[in-house]
Amino acid sequence: MELSRRRLLQAGLLAAAGGVTAACGGSKSSGSGSGSGSKDIALWYWAGGLSDKVVADSVTHFTAQGTIKPSVIGGDFKQKLTTTLAAGRSLPAITGIKGEDIAALLPQAKQFVDLNTLGADKLQSQYLTWKWKQGSTQDGKLIGFPIDIGPTGLFYRADLFEKAGLPSKPEDVAKQIVTWDDWFEAGKQLHGKVPKSFPVNTVQSILSAAIGQNTVRFIDTNNKFVGDQDHIRKAWDTALKPLQLGIDAKINDNSWNAAIAGGTVAAEVGAAWHGLDISSAGPDTKGKWRVAPTPSGPANIGGSFLAIPAKGDNHDLAFQVISWLLNADNQARGFTDASLFPSMPAAYKLPALTGGDPFFGGQVTIDVFGPAAEKIPIAYEAPADAAVAAPYYNEIIKVETGKDANQAWNDAVSQAKQIAAKQGVN
Amino acid sequence: MRRTGIVSYWRQYLAISPFFLVFVGFNLIPVFFTLYLAFQRWDGLGDMQFAGLDQFKFLIHDPTFWLSVRNTIIIWVLGTFPMLFVALIIAVMLNAGVRFTPFYRIAYFLPNVTSLVAVALFFFAIFSSSNGLVNAVLHLLHLPQVQWLQNPFAIKVVIALLMSWQWTGYNAIIYLAGLQTIPSQLYEAAQLDGAGPVRMFRHITVPLLRPIILFTLIVSTVTGLQSFTEPQVLFGSTASVNPNSGGPGQAGLTMMLYFYHQAFDNNDYGYGAAIVWALFLLILLFVVINWRLVARSERRGTR
Repeated sequence: MELSRRRLLQAGLLAAAGGVTAACGGSKSSGSGSGSGSKDIALWYWAGGLSDKVVADSVTHFTAQGTIKPSVIGGDFKQKLTTTLAAGRSLPAITGIKGEDIAALLPQAKQFVDLNTLGADKLQSQYLTWKWKQGSTQDGKLIGFPIDIGPTGLFYRADLFEKAGLPSKPEDVAKQIVTWDDWFEAGKQLHGKVPKSFPVNTVQSILSAAIGQNTVRFIDTNNKFVGDQDHIRKAWDTALKPLQLGIDAKINDNSWNAAIAGGTVAAEVGAAWHGLDISSAGPDTKGKWRVAPTPSGPANIGGSFLAIPAKGDNHDLAFQVISWLLNADNQARGFTDASLFPSMPAAYKLPALTGGDPFFGGQVTIDVFGPAAEKIPIAYEAPADAAVAAPYYNEIIKVETGKDANQAWNDAVSQAKQIAAKQGVN
Repeated sequence: MRRTGIVSYWRQYLAISPFFLVFVGFNLIPVFFTLYLAFQRWDGLGDMQFAGLDQFKFLIHDPTFWLSVRNTIIIWVLGTFPMLFVALIIAVMLNAGVRFTPFYRIAYFLPNVTSLVAVALFFFAIFSSSNGLVNAVLHLLHLPQVQWLQNPFAIKVVIALLMSWQWTGYNAIIYLAGLQTIPSQLYEAAQLDGAGPVRMFRHITVPLLRPIILFTLIVSTVTGLQSFTEPQVLFGSTASVNPNSGGPGQAGLTMMLYFYHQAFDNNDYGYGAAIVWALFLLILLFVVINWRLVARSERRGTR
């Protein structure tokens, strides 16, 4: 047989075809998991969503009952989850859901298992009420099991406060600064005595906190648009006060890092995890920051959930894994390993959280965030909430760069109304 | 019946079919699905609700959409015409018999094959307002510093520069290939008649390159109006509040970025589909205008 090019090509094609079918056959058997005796629990989460060490321990903890297969999914997590849910196949047994996505996924509750049917209702009293409600549908089905939360606090530079003649110890600050107006008064004094420092980085952060302090957001429980009413107007006006008083640094971009390091921004209203952002932006300011309670009450920014897709396998074992991963000890470990603020008040008394934080000069920050976590108001968040809120944030930045405040308000409301109508809100 | 046509050539059709099957499955069908989607309300997971012309009605009244149209057109103008002109100049210079031409060809083509995301991150660093390289050089030359990533117009310039960086070399290589098909006798005859380099360029090079210029113009229009990666990498964030909205003042919000934001951040696939079809119509309009402007004179010339 002569070795002609044609024979080589034929042989090559046959080999390739054989390889492809072998690969297809092989992957099919490892795809669906159940049926061969050992229970596979696929766990999907994003980098930093859970403590990797806790997840690794869960694998060994549950080896007798099943094999946990954790996957850290990079890229757009929500997109991958939505696509897999729409496909309805090869869904994991457990998936994470980010806090900003839970509102949009709650209407699709039939894609997930109601965790109350697996025993979650017995654990309800151990977790924060508002967080539990955030992960539940309006008719009481629990879709998302709480992982972490983002209670806000007022981060401030104690050394700059002292320079300005303001109290610098957290307890004293808490006594003096109770409402937003108290804070803006103190901010004026700070900026007056230390002209290069501003107490507010951008009006957007005040707006975000002020909105989060309410019990109603932009759409109420009857699916009616309420973004033009007093509670939002009040938050808008509060957010613009620093701009009017001249104490707003107007930093809403990447120059924030330098502003923190250089002391241009002397305070931040942010969630507990925002402390990490501050410490990575300004490592040389270590020991100079403290935390005080948020003026006019805490809000929540961030925090995620774990859920069980209905078409995943092994629901009972999956729920056992979830409740183990999120018990008090493991939540405390999540705090030390990945700065995940626990959603379980019992964890606040554990040593991992009651130790002092060197970045905050040894302050025991749980004294501020613990009570804040319990006081966060319960507010209904509609799936269209993020889209409807966007015009307000865009317009308030325009006020910062010179637009008339009333015009901006009217534009924001009319645009928000249009967006709400498009999304099917009344 | 004679077995002619498709049946007798079935082997050849089979050989070229893989591409077309993939094209139909992954390109053509999704295009029509998107058209269907533009008349629905869908959040990606639930049921689709028929919405008639609602999405388009909303589109016409949406100020952010019109802002994205303005941004897209300005970025396209800033990023295409100077770029094509520079590419032509480079091609003419390369054609003039410089030494090491193969090296220059590779060097100019390299930006086209590098990852746009990596280059965008690099641009993000050097155009930074406080410690970027560009502002440092401006400071050295005693020129006023520019807030590259905050000023609305400067943002568009940066995005246009990114596009130019990527495509200049590609277009220069294409023009170079075209230049080499122009017979040198024409240039020699013109020189004998006393024409200088500029006249030769205007009256010989450009008219004979017209079909190639048309090609690069159309391709640049189609890709330039769809710019998405540049603003997304420069201003994208994983922020939970209003992500992917094109930076300060939404100055970098192109139509593709707005589509991405609506469809994937706000889960509003129906509206995203409407935006994308509006973009298609815009691209079609510009291509027709370009064609009319450039090809018309060619028809006259060959008569």
